Amino acid sequence: MSTKNGNKNIWKSVKEYQDDPEVLKSKLNEFQDGVTDDFNINEMSQFSRRKFLAVLAASTAYAATGCTSYRDKGEIVPYVDRPEEILPGKPTFYASTFADDGLSYGILIKTREGRPIKIEGNPDDKINKGKIPSKVHASILNLYDPERLQFPRINGRKTSWDKVNEEIISKLVELEQNGEEIAFFTNPITSPSTQRVVNEFASKYSNVSIYTTQLVNQNNKIDAWEKSFNQKIIPSIKWDKAKVVLSLESDFLGKEGNTTENRLLYVKGRDVVETNELNKLYCVEAGMSLTGINSDVRLRLKPQQQFNLVLSIINELLNSGKLDKSKLDSNVLALVNKNSLAKFSSENGIDKSKLKELVDNLSDHKGQSIVYGGDVLPSETHILINLLNELLENSDLYDYENGFINNSKISSAEEINNLVSKISNKEVGAIINFDSNPMYELPPNIGFSEVIKNVETIISISEAPSETTAISKYVLPVHNLLESWGDHQTRNGQITLQQPVISPLFDTLQKETILLNWINRVPVSDDLYQTYLKENVKEYIYSKGNYAADFNTFWLTALHDGVLNIDSESVPISRVNQTELQEINSAQKGISLVINNNNFFSTGKYANNGWLQELPHPVTKVTWDNFAAIAPATAEKNDLVNDDLIKISVGGQEIELPVMIQPGMAEDTIVTELGYGRENSGEVANKVGFNVNPLLNGKDLSQYILSDVTMTKTGEVYKLASTQEHHSLDDEFVKDFHRLRKIIQEGTLEEYKNNPKFLDEHKYEIFSITESHEYKDEKWAMSIDLNKCLGCSECISSCNVENNVPVVGKEQVALGREMQWMRIDRYYSGTPEEPIVSTQPMLCQHCDNAPCENVCPVNATNHSPDGLNQMAYNRCVGTRYCANNCPYKVRRFNFYNFRDSFANAHYDNELTYLVNNPEVTVRSRGVIEKCTFCIQNIMEVRENAIREGREIRTDEVTTSCQSACPTDAIVFGDSNNNDSKVTKHREHDLSYHVLEELNVKPNVTYLAKIRNTRTEDV
Amino acid sequence: MSEKLYSYTALFDTPNDIIHAAKTVTEKGYTKFDVNTPYPIHGMDAAMKLPPSKLGFVTLFAGLGGTALALLMMGWMMGIDYPIVIGGKPFFPLPAFIPITFEITVLLATLTTVGALLFFFFKLPNNRHPLHDTNYMKNVSSDKYGICIETEDPKFNAEEIKELFASLHASTIEPVYFDDDEVNFKVVVADPKFLGFLVAVALFVSLSAYLHLNKLLYIVPFSWMDEQEKIVVQKKNDLFDNGLGMQEPVQGSVARGFIPYPFKDKPEEAGKLLVNPLIPDKDNLEVGKNKYNIYCSPCHGYLAEGDSRLNDQFPNPPSLHSEKVRTWSDGRLYHVIVEGQNVMPSYSYQLSRQERWAVVNYLRVLQRSLNAKETDL
Amino acid sequence: MSSIDYTQERSVVEGRPPLRSLDEIISKPLDTKPDIKFYIALAITLTMLGIGAIGLAASLYWGTGLWGNNNPVGWGLPIVNFVFWIGIGHAGTLISAILFLFRQKWRTGIARFAEGMTIFAVITAMIFPIMHTGRPWLAAVYLLPYPNQHSLWVNFTSPLLWDVFAVSTYFTVSFVFWYIGLIPDFATLRDRTTHKIKKIIYSITSLGWRHSNRHWQNYELTYLILAGFATPLVLSVHTIVSFDFAVAILPGWHTTIFPPYFVAGAVFSGFAMVQNVLIFIRKIFNYEHIITLDTLEKMNKIILLTGMLVGYAYSMEFFMAWYSGVQPEVFAFMNRAFGDYWWAYWIMFSCNVFFPQLFWFKKIRRSIPIMFVLAVLVNVGMWFERFVITVTSLSRDYLPSSWAYFKPTLTDASLLIGSFGLFFTLVLLFTKSLPVISISEVKAVVDGSQPTHGEH
Repeated sequence: MSTKNGNKNIWKSVKEYQDDPEVLKSKLNEFQDGVTDDFNINEMSQFSRRKFLAVLAASTAYAATGCTSYRDKGEIVPYVDRPEEILPGKPTFYASTFADDGLSYGILIKTREGRPIKIEGNPDDKINKGKIPSKVHASILNLYDPERLQFPRINGRKTSWDKVNEEIISKLVELEQNGEEIAFFTNPITSPSTQRVVNEFASKYSNVSIYTTQLVNQNNKIDAWEKSFNQKIIPSIKWDKAKVVLSLESDFLGKEGNTTENRLLYVKGRDVVETNELNKLYCVEAGMSLTGINSDVRLRLKPQQQFNLVLSIINELLNSGKLDKSKLDSNVLALVNKNSLAKFSSENGIDKSKLKELVDNLSDHKGQSIVYGGDVLPSETHILINLLNELLENSDLYDYENGFINNSKISSAEEINNLVSKISNKEVGAIINFDSNPMYELPPNIGFSEVIKNVETIISISEAPSETTAISKYVLPVHNLLESWGDHQTRNGQITLQQPVISPLFDTLQKETILLNWINRVPVSDDLYQTYLKENVKEYIYSKGNYAADFNTFWLTALHDGVLNIDSESVPISRVNQTELQEINSAQKGISLVINNNNFFSTGKYANNGWLQELPHPVTKVTWDNFAAIAPATAEKNDLVNDDLIKISVGGQEIELPVMIQPGMAEDTIVTELGYGRENSGEVANKVGFNVNPLLNGKDLSQYILSDVTMTKTGEVYKLASTQEHHSLDDEFVKDFHRLRKIIQEGTLEEYKNNPKFLDEHKYEIFSITESHEYKDEKWAMSIDLNKCLGCSECISSCNVENNVPVVGKEQVALGREMQWMRIDRYYSGTPEEPIVSTQPMLCQHCDNAPCENVCPVNATNHSPDGLNQMAYNRCVGTRYCANNCPYKVRRFNFYNFRDSFANAHYDNELTYLVNNPEVTVRSRGVIEKCTFCIQNIMEVRENAIREGREIRTDEVTTSCQSACPTDAIVFGDSNNNDSKVTKHREHDLSYHVLEELNVKPNVTYLAKIRNTRTEDV
Repeated sequence: MSEKLYSYTALFDTPNDIIHAAKTVTEKGYTKFDVNTPYPIHGMDAAMKLPPSKLGFVTLFAGLGGTALALLMMGWMMGIDYPIVIGGKPFFPLPAFIPITFEITVLLATLTTVGALLFFFFKLPNNRHPLHDTNYMKNVSSDKYGICIETEDPKFNAEEIKELFASLHASTIEPVYFDDDEVNFKVVVADPKFLGFLVAVALFVSLSAYLHLNKLLYIVPFSWMDEQEKIVVQKKNDLFDNGLGMQEPVQGSVARGFIPYPFKDKPEEAGKLLVNPLIPDKDNLEVGKNKYNIYCSPCHGYLAEGDSRLNDQFPNPPSLHSEKVRTWSDGRLYHVIVEGQNVMPSYSYQLSRQERWAVVNYLRVLQRSLNAKETDL
Repeated sequence: MSSIDYTQERSVVEGRPPLRSLDEIISKPLDTKPDIKFYIALAITLTMLGIGAIGLAASLYWGTGLWGNNNPVGWGLPIVNFVFWIGIGHAGTLISAILFLFRQKWRTGIARFAEGMTIFAVITAMIFPIMHTGRPWLAAVYLLPYPNQHSLWVNFTSPLLWDVFAVSTYFTVSFVFWYIGLIPDFATLRDRTTHKIKKIIYSITSLGWRHSNRHWQNYELTYLILAGFATPLVLSVHTIVSFDFAVAILPGWHTTIFPPYFVAGAVFSGFAMVQNVLIFIRKIFNYEHIITLDTLEKMNKIILLTGMLVGYAYSMEFFMAWYSGVQPEVFAFMNRAFGDYWWAYWIMFSCNVFFPQLFWFKKIRRSIPIMFVLAVLVNVGMWFERFVITVTSLSRDYLPSSWAYFKPTLTDASLLIGSFGLFFTLVLLFTKSLPVISISEVKAVVDGSQPTHGEH
């Protein structure tokens, strides 16, 4: 507002402001000529009147549209006083522990405004180095599982904690008085404090007897180690030191032992970027395991023959004078002499030259090789393996410093059988199920489930519903691990702490608190166990070690780090005690059966987790089911095809399973997996797959290899849902396409050594008619090292959680509508008997010349200035043209609102919404979605950089698949930055793009796999 | 029928007759006449000596206009207004523009041509023409061939024309008159029907526009992804007892990088044990200054002399240049920032740990500035 | 027996009907009440339409998941139907425009009807590209370049957007063309009718046309111009539809032969459809002397020709694939013929290439029942051609890991049925509401309707 010559004067236009004479004139007579003076409507033509009225109409319309009201977007509720550690919109991390199946992983829990939204690995964990398996990633869903037990129940009716505790305590007292046994079932306890609580409980009520069950256990191995070295601690293996690895019926890269650690160390020997000296993995197995598909040399062998194999190897070593007899006891020598390599190879139809090579390799790398037996093998074989390792001087590769501690012994079959008989004679007054699941985990033919009705008081202390809670009188819900306090020791020299990151969502208690209440009769409160734990830690760690800081500081620091390194107890190294070793009956009749653990959800405990159920099996790519895997030849012999339902019977027990024809398996052998066929365990888990526990032998809980199995065709068909079509390997029509099309490029070590640039032979010369765009600052790119990638699928799990990927269910997977943004492609070449398997993680390649972008009519997908192929979900109308035109088929379409369509909207509720990452759009029906290179992480890093007024640091951004990859096969970074890792990879001799000749210029490069094997075998 | 004569008409039975008739009439120099036939008769244009049609030019220019329009539109939208990298293509991918350019050209050309034809050349729609509903029109629209000379014609003379037609063996000869309402048709100013119609249009447009923008766009399925199934910052959530989406951390838990302050109510210990991790340098002093001026200066004043904008509204804070404060260790000062003292509240929410130390450093600078030592010179 | 004078073109209208009789016979269906047969026919088509409507409603309510589409096969039956129906439309424009430019008099009898079918076919076709999207309610607007809340424009490099412009232009121009042709007929009807309301309607639709020769002059020029535009337009439309595939990089889609091949196929199927329907029309409304057997024979000749063009395209595709030596390309075509969808391929091949060869025989060309059956087969074949192109290429593309088999569902079927329902409903209503033969044009080609020169 201008104030001209003192008084305020209002001006309507610049002209007027400048005292334009015309304007002044016009101001004098308000109506200009022709506008309205002597107004005579009749002079106006019809047309202009219409025009006038039309304008009137239009202006009314505009007026109406102008005054649009806006909707109320809901209340905004800030913190009253903000906790120091929480900055709204920014993640806060807590160190904690995930413990399951006798193993523990240090985790970092990512929380937003006090709500956990993702679980990542804790880099301070010296064992796992910040890597965690799929079940840990996905377990966040269990916290928000709508079917969690939410309040204490008596006979299914809701009740209060005071009431239920009161009743139980009086019951326990009563039982103690009339001396009836209280059977206390638990899984192996890895927490010293919990162990102590349990012991206190056991001593408080004298008649408590503790039974430890574990469906898939290492009993044979533990037993063997006790026999051969007479010690509990089993060393972990220094895989990184091993030049030659012989894996006998063991899936140490897939599902046996602490896989994250194994993978981490094993791939150190496959790092082609650093060196071209690779380790060599021999794998002798019946089924086709993840280890098998990653091995350089793979031999098919029926599981019972492993014992003789080891003997023949020793025999060969003796004959070839690489070993002197003196090291062997007479009884062993006798066994050894019964076998020979020639005899063995002819009996089992194995190429002798390969075996010979194996033996030479082992003896050439004395002290640098390792022979590793699978958990399923009987203890005799394990002893023999220990012996072989000793003979090969491989004991140096045993790492006792970080050895496995097996404090809680699994109950033997006798104990369980006794219990059953006691129950049937009504000598057992109560059964307490301490967060385990005996009804499912005990083999049915023990008869536990039959007699259990004799026990009136069954108490289940459990987080989720299960077969056991279903029959329990008292059901006491406990905290999820993200709500719990705890300490865990599974490894020598490291204790990991557990702290809650969110206050209990439901009326649950810490499981130890419940016991403490029964012991001390104190009123239950949440910090009861917290203080107990603190005291206990003070007593058994703080007081022992000499720490400078006061206990409080010590405690806070420990919680902060999540891990405590303590002096590991030393283990006396002794020679293998050979006397225990006696021959086992390896003569197998009929078909043999191997029962493995499943890949992802640990003996069924996490079966109610949709994300885990939908992870494709690493080898067969089957989801939502287990199956009987058999060799193609065996299938032909019994005229079976995929999805045929067969009846498997052994030792009077029989079950049905669908057939899955698996190339590369030993003939007349069935391999199947445990953990499926759950009941009363929730919408997701119930009736998924088949329960194979009945086959487990009641006489010996740890017998996973069965002989003399009969297999009959039922004639029914059961459709398995797999994410990849199964072409029979000898179908010439589609054979070896992945090689012909240069999707997979591979070479052998000698090829690579002779000519590091061997990939560049017959490369296409590519040119473009338009010149490509300049990317000024960052240009994001990824590189995947196929030498390190094992195909373990943990990137997928992490990606699912990070990017709100919905669960679609079996039917939709069968229709080919799975939504995972990332997938691991698996290709077979070679023969059905001896297939060569290649795996390849496939995700959006963020092509510079993205074919998807050209065809999107609405510009919903286009390129960002930093080289990302980005999606505007709310612009997408879902023509699916982009998906059609994507040569990598990585785009996913929401055919339904999958959250709503899966299992009666099981995951479509207020509670499960909490699991969704606030940084990522929750996609609706009818839009396309795909990998974004975790753009939310990129943006966060960029924000920080801007706030701190600096450039983005080299390799500062990580995608969730990258951070989840246990072998660091995935590298992500700025390809415009010359010191970034990814640039180094892109320039490496072995780097290539999939379908390079299309000239779509992908930003994901792959490093070709180098196989350490004879070129003629590939 | 009024008395006002429009024209004289004649009907013929064969195409030959009509051609002949047209020829003669033209020769006789009549200009305001027309021939009506159920279908175009070959050679009639020649017979009537009609000039060639100009319509072609309209088409040509409309077409060229379409081409230009299309190219400009696409070029501007994709290259100038909002240039996006799409599939690594240039911002003006001409080959990709060709199909649409062609379509728009054809569309504009045809529509303009037809529009011009009907409304400009033919002056249609026109159902008031005197020829309508005459016996003449009924015949020529079926199987007769007619010719009609209007009164407008300068040489018009009823008698002559009648004779002429007769001499041409016309089967019927008859006059055509204007309708009454045609004759005394007057333009009615703002006739109510028409006004009502326009008002109705206005209402309809406004209402539909309003409903579309304020209602339709906010109903399912348009509202999809509008409400996200996730908890965003500061959103309500009834799942939790406090009705907030944002939760407090659990009692006793320790977040990464946030080990709780160990010297609660222990100023002296803090003073002893806490060490300043920051070496004063340009950057953190900048930060310190910034934060000090924001959070501290309102009470302590920009120079920490306790004279501030809030003077006398609160109990005055002491000057920070006092001997006591200067001798305090960094840790002690830090403690005050964390816990506050007397009326001063804790500033641990406002200031991150780094920033607190930065403020301490800046405060040191302020103190030094007031009582500099020789050594500083 | 008298010898025929071949220098004289044979009359396209048999006999020499008085012009007034033409008025009557052509406008008879409009004046008389429809008989029971008509209602039965209408009932059938409406039922089919209803089935389609239900299928569509279901897919809108639950989602496109009700169809067989899956991850590699993003486009299923809806797109197949779209291409099929667009193709059907092409015959109309070809007959009315191209044959007009070639001064083919025999077109006059069938032009109007063919144009009508063009419009109905395009209407039917246009439903699919919108409804096949994930969010049709948005697709309907987001595909237009209007300023929107995303401040994004549409992507003019996308073939789908070319479709939007091509199809809408095609529809508009065909409609205008059709209407222009109708104006004189409306005038004639206006002057014939005695019915009050009809009179008003015809007065409005005829815009007060006066059969004035000063008008006829410009009118004919315009008609010529429109024909001139419609010709390249019709070629462009199916060319652009073929770009939907040809511009993609999929093996089996990415081929330069598609535009001519699609256009030929379109004319092929279109003529077959027109021929099918005309056979009924001329019988029911006794137009045998206007839509003569000669006309039908000529159409069969065109079917034979285009059939062979299509056959050539099929074999040339194989040759080019083999000649290129690109493995995915070669496989794409081997897979069509011998892969999972071999049956679809061989249905297509036999119906489109083998059977039409029978039209070499004059007897068959002139035998109503046989030509009818053959034409039906042609349309079956052409539908499968689109199926083969769309589905087989998608179901097995570059990465064997993501191959999957596509199975259509009941909903898919219902949509297909519905589209036929809609098309034939429109055709039926057309026959009862408008002159299916151009009165003025036919009059102009009746013998003796034009002045004999050299007289006087």
